[in-house]
Amino acid sequence: MWALRGLRNGVLTTRWPARPDDYAAATRGPATVLTALAGESVNLGGLCPTGAITREASGPLRLDQGRCIQCGRCVAARPDVFGWTSGPGSAVLARPALVVPPVDETADRLAAIRDDLRARTRALRRSVHLRHVDAGSDGTEEWEILALLNPVYDIHRLGIFLTASPRHADVLLVTGAGARGMTEPLRQTYEAMPYPKVVIAVGTDAVGGGLVSPSYATAGGVGDMVPVDVWLPGSPPSPFSILHALLLALGRVPVRAGSQR
Amino acid sequence: MPATTSAALAASVPELWDELTSEVAAGRRFADLFATTSPGGLLLTAHLASPAGITTREAMLPPGAAGYPALTPRLGAAFWYEREIHDLFGAIPEGHPRLEPLILTAAGDPPRPGAEVKPRSVNPDPGVLPSHVAGPGLFTIPHGPVRSGVMESIEYLVETPGEDIPHLNMRVFYKHRGIEKRFEGMTTADGLLLAERAEGIASVAHALAYCHALEQVAGTEVPRAAGLIRTVHAELERLACHLDVIVRLADGAGLAVATARFGWHKEQVLRLVSRLCGSRFGRGVVVPGGVSRHPLIGLGDLLAASGELDKRIAADLSLLMGTASFLDRLRRTGPLRPERAREHGALGPVGRASGYTDDARQSRPYDAYGSLAVRTASRPDGDAMARLEVRIDEIAQSFHLLRQAAGELAEAAAGPLLQPCDPADGRGIGWAEAPQGEVLYDIRVADRMIGRCRARSASFHNLVLMHEVFAGDILTDFPFIEASFGLSIAGVSS
Amino acid sequence: MTAYSAVLAAGLALLAVAAAADLVFGARRPRLLPVPYWLGAAASACLAVAGAAALAGRPVVLRVTGLLGSGTVGPAADRLSGLFLVIAFGAAFAVSLALASWAAGPGRPGRRGLGASYALALGAVAVVLTARDAFTFLFAWESLTLAFYLLSGFERARAGRPAAALVTLAFGRISGVLLLAGLLLLAGRSGSLTLTSLTHAAPGTLRSAAEVLLLAGFAAKVGLVPFQVWLPRGYSAAPGPARAVMAGVAVNVGFYGLWRTLALLGPPPAAVTGILLVLASLTAVLGIAHAAVQTGLQRVIAYSSVENTGLILAGFGVALVGAATRDRDLLAAGLLAATLQVVAHTAAKSLLFTSSARMEAVDGTDNLDRLRGSVRLRPWSGTGLAVGSLTLAGLPPTVGFVSEWFLLEALMQQFRVPGLGDRLVLAITGAAVALTAGFAGVTFVRLIGMVVLGKPGSPGGAVPRDYGLAGRAAIILLGAACLVTAALTPLEIRAIAAGLSPILPASATMGALKSPWVLQPVFADFSILSPSWLWLVMPALFLVTGLVAWAASGSRLLRVRRVPPWRSATAGVSGRASYTAFGFANPTRRVLAGVLHTRAEVRRIDGPRPGSETAVSAAQPAPGPPSPTSRQEELADNAVHVGYSSDVIEVVEEYLYRPILRPFLLLVRLAQRLQSGRLDAYLAYMLIALIAVLAVVTALH
Repeated sequence: MWALRGLRNGVLTTRWPARPDDYAAATRGPATVLTALAGESVNLGGLCPTGAITREASGPLRLDQGRCIQCGRCVAARPDVFGWTSGPGSAVLARPALVVPPVDETADRLAAIRDDLRARTRALRRSVHLRHVDAGSDGTEEWEILALLNPVYDIHRLGIFLTASPRHADVLLVTGAGARGMTEPLRQTYEAMPYPKVVIAVGTDAVGGGLVSPSYATAGGVGDMVPVDVWLPGSPPSPFSILHALLLALGRVPVRAGSQR
Repeated sequence: MPATTSAALAASVPELWDELTSEVAAGRRFADLFATTSPGGLLLTAHLASPAGITTREAMLPPGAAGYPALTPRLGAAFWYEREIHDLFGAIPEGHPRLEPLILTAAGDPPRPGAEVKPRSVNPDPGVLPSHVAGPGLFTIPHGPVRSGVMESIEYLVETPGEDIPHLNMRVFYKHRGIEKRFEGMTTADGLLLAERAEGIASVAHALAYCHALEQVAGTEVPRAAGLIRTVHAELERLACHLDVIVRLADGAGLAVATARFGWHKEQVLRLVSRLCGSRFGRGVVVPGGVSRHPLIGLGDLLAASGELDKRIAADLSLLMGTASFLDRLRRTGPLRPERAREHGALGPVGRASGYTDDARQSRPYDAYGSLAVRTASRPDGDAMARLEVRIDEIAQSFHLLRQAAGELAEAAAGPLLQPCDPADGRGIGWAEAPQGEVLYDIRVADRMIGRCRARSASFHNLVLMHEVFAGDILTDFPFIEASFGLSIAGVSS
Repeated sequence: MTAYSAVLAAGLALLAVAAAADLVFGARRPRLLPVPYWLGAAASACLAVAGAAALAGRPVVLRVTGLLGSGTVGPAADRLSGLFLVIAFGAAFAVSLALASWAAGPGRPGRRGLGASYALALGAVAVVLTARDAFTFLFAWESLTLAFYLLSGFERARAGRPAAALVTLAFGRISGVLLLAGLLLLAGRSGSLTLTSLTHAAPGTLRSAAEVLLLAGFAAKVGLVPFQVWLPRGYSAAPGPARAVMAGVAVNVGFYGLWRTLALLGPPPAAVTGILLVLASLTAVLGIAHAAVQTGLQRVIAYSSVENTGLILAGFGVALVGAATRDRDLLAAGLLAATLQVVAHTAAKSLLFTSSARMEAVDGTDNLDRLRGSVRLRPWSGTGLAVGSLTLAGLPPTVGFVSEWFLLEALMQQFRVPGLGDRLVLAITGAAVALTAGFAGVTFVRLIGMVVLGKPGSPGGAVPRDYGLAGRAAIILLGAACLVTAALTPLEIRAIAAGLSPILPASATMGALKSPWVLQPVFADFSILSPSWLWLVMPALFLVTGLVAWAASGSRLLRVRRVPPWRSATAGVSGRASYTAFGFANPTRRVLAGVLHTRAEVRRIDGPRPGSETAVSAAQPAPGPPSPTSRQEELADNAVHVGYSSDVIEVVEEYLYRPILRPFLLLVRLAQRLQSGRLDAYLAYMLIALIAVLAVVTALH
């Protein structure tokens, strides 16, 4: 009975990344600065609850996407200066690359980091196992990671699987703001994984601590707890963004010339 | 909206306990107990819920007192609340049957929400829980904190002789983020953002409770259109959570097609929410005084999408409830006795499945629920099957409410969406019925900043009942019991 | 007197000297304590050599008549006796070495008598195996019963031992009485006490009844249901490696008796064969069910003896069916399987009891949970335990695997049997044996995994050290018997074929050799097995796999990073965090609840937590937790404690013997009235008895 029911609605799975997907293209990413030059006229007081927006001494605005919780206050207040990014490509390989507009030096460092990651994950390219650790999330990032298993995203078609034991895992997904209670369990999980391994910080909480930090009970993100290879902002990041981050970690995302990511 | 009442300060803590026990005996439900550091000492606040509204009772513990007589021996539902007070404030409830650390295990300065002192960051020292079952060959199987699937961090310690589960221990301190202390000093606008992230899968419900509290302080009346939009988002969130529970149950039973199909339905619900407001979890919609904007799609599209979903989900549910191998796993698994549910005041579907019906949408209606007809689902058995059936009834109910709210919105859409609500000083209590049960917020505002914000989620109230539901079950029943409770650990550890 | 007869006589004489040495010097000179055992080892070697000679066909006869208990014909060994002499005294040699090593160590016997009982046991075994007439046979049998009583009651100061010794004695007497009745009936019929003349007893109900009595007597010795209740108690009660003497060496007299009965009298009536098969399957299942759930190491091994009795008698039953239907191949298949299982059991059981003699926890118990990881502290005993467990679990490439294969193959021939009743019974027995093999795997995996390989807890106080040189030699010998013999199975089969020649021609049994190194279950074209090839191929496969893995991994195979085992990153638990031996047996306890009558109970207890780990036997058979009545109790639960208990009962003991016990004790009390202590009463009883006997004899004449 269930077998027939499963065929009722045809193919539900998205073809992304092989073919474009409308919902993926419409995914709302973190906020970004539309024009760097309008820095002087923006009043920063009370604009960003996590302090992601700063003004450099020479004037241009910088927005750290790793601290953006997608509250939309800056976009609503100054739609001419701030806007949403769209599409799933918000993951980066180095923390400084999350600051937009990008600084020039980051491009070369990123190339070196990318090559190192590709070399490390050469054996993992087509078949990889994931392990997830919750280091103090609010529960939504887990839903988005689990959504990867539903027939719409179906990561099994890409050779990506979830595993129960870190001994079998290649990629560690860490969510949450780095609750201090999870310091030791996270370290044990990381140690229990065999080399080569890749760590992805999933969500703004994991990347920069989110709105919950600074707190006596969190470490402001998991960057100090484990060596993170891929940083994925978003509160929470949509399943397409997580998928993009995975493919970036595995070196399966085609690199556009001159792009940062 | 029903009123909240509060009496004058009780003379002493034992007197407060007397008042509480007499109110509970009179039929009110014990809803919350927390403490605040204040100039006069430690202020203990208790909330009681009834169809008439929320009643507050308070007492002050003098500054020098190290402890107070415990409430738990007289009122069992306060078991975890007193442990939380002990962890956060260091006050010792004398006579408490088991005063181990619950959400915070560090020695040293307790964080003390309400106090000016910002504690340095505390590194928890886990310690070891004593085992509680005696007998030959017993050992403890730890499940967690790093669980075997994609789950939130909590540790279940199953004391077992090898197959059965005579006893279950829980350690919930791994995910403690210090939310209550973080609220202090935030503006009310930022506080709303934090409330949404206290228990992420019930974002809308937490935002609603927070806004109700602020609206009570400012005395704002929410416009009709805003109330209806809020209702739409709340019901969509309820759908998503209940579908998630069904996905986990089907996955536990190994029904691959059912897991896939209900996963697809849940994804469609989340996509519908993101088309309505831009966020898959309904964040940024509810603001104090109303809602932030109109839905981004037309009402016709909304009705069409929800009607389509309703048909598909109902068809799959009827097939699921005919799959004998699945139902066998749930029948008589993890039964919560009705007396126990009533004594404890179990919230949400967990309570309703054991015959204890207290739905905040019906007893203490808010937003548009007063005008919509809300029927409360309930069952008498209390096992995992009953909890699933209650959720199925609530799914059907949610679609019905959605249709009603969308229909009425078509007429009321012309009205305003937002009333100004910017309280400067005051104290307010707000509630909302999250998919897990009632969420309760108690906010003190001073100078437009939050002085103390207490966020009590339904998960915190209900999780302690996991100790009592293992009657003759074996280890393989454990995932079903956990999934059928459907709680969020982020709300427990906060 | 031929050379080998002299060797036989020398062996018996050495045993007498050993007994005398122990009685005279006893525990007065601790340095001389191992001497009886060294003498016993020499004697076992002599007897084994004599047996091998008899097996080869040399004459081994002792012409002593008229001596104490020697009856009308002196002891002599024919091929069947020779086979069992080799089996029993080959094991006895190794066990004696272990006893010598054990007696020199700190666990030595505190007083004299153990060596004498041991020598008495071995001597009785030798005489039983070589007896030629009924009187010698019965005399030696009763001596063996006496030796068992002395062995199991040696440490009479410890709890439970006196009762165990009495039960052993009682069942030994029961078997002796049954044998006495059977032999006398037959002797009356045939007119002579010589065993070979019993064949000529006239066929009829009396001969069948006598045969049944003989079979029952031997079955009581080896522990067939319902006589199995004394085995666990009796075996566990004996000290140290003396258990191996009882369970590994002396139990073979029972099997010898059954084989000899078949040789002398042929098959019993068909109904008796059917009952024997059913009882054998019951014994096997009951034995392994209990072995799987016991908490003490000695009990596990003792119950495994019960299981093996069932297996051996199942093979014997097949042979009886073959004899009754005059199917020589079936007879050969059954007897060969049973004898191979006898060999495997002797080697493995002796090895297990020898290895476990040193396995005592700090507190003197042999609780499996306290013996975790013993192999670290006692590597020789641990390895012996592992090898013996593998053999009894029937895992390749041990000799236990070969014998179980033969047994199952013999039972599978049931389709060749003409009668439906026989076929049905054989099929049921086959299913029971297969079930037993499965649970044997579970039982011995628990033993190996928990006791040999588990992580040791803190040893605490002083732990008994491992064996000295002689003990290690014993373990090596017995281990080799378990392992190497499997590779040399064709030679073993030749020897067994020679030994079984009084029952059926050797050529029939040799039909099991398809080609020099390949075996078949006597019937051609049914199936084949080659343990010799297994011994070559299995290590080769391991080696090849290892080489391939090493080559494919570059050099990374040996680069190891050690991290703690993954336990879901828990912060730690108090008490045990992994499966206990008790918990491991829990599924078996539940699945076999019908056979074991498991009772499990969870109850709330008030007050301080009880510290002991002894299983609390439950009173009411209520599964699941009883609901607490008041909320006060409920709140106290969270702080206080829950008690869990689970217990099994021995079905036969509970439902057969306990109901008989009450009227039996009533009878005993009545009989006690006769013990008035008055001389005139006793003289009167003797007079009455004499007159009655005279009357009966004259009436019968």
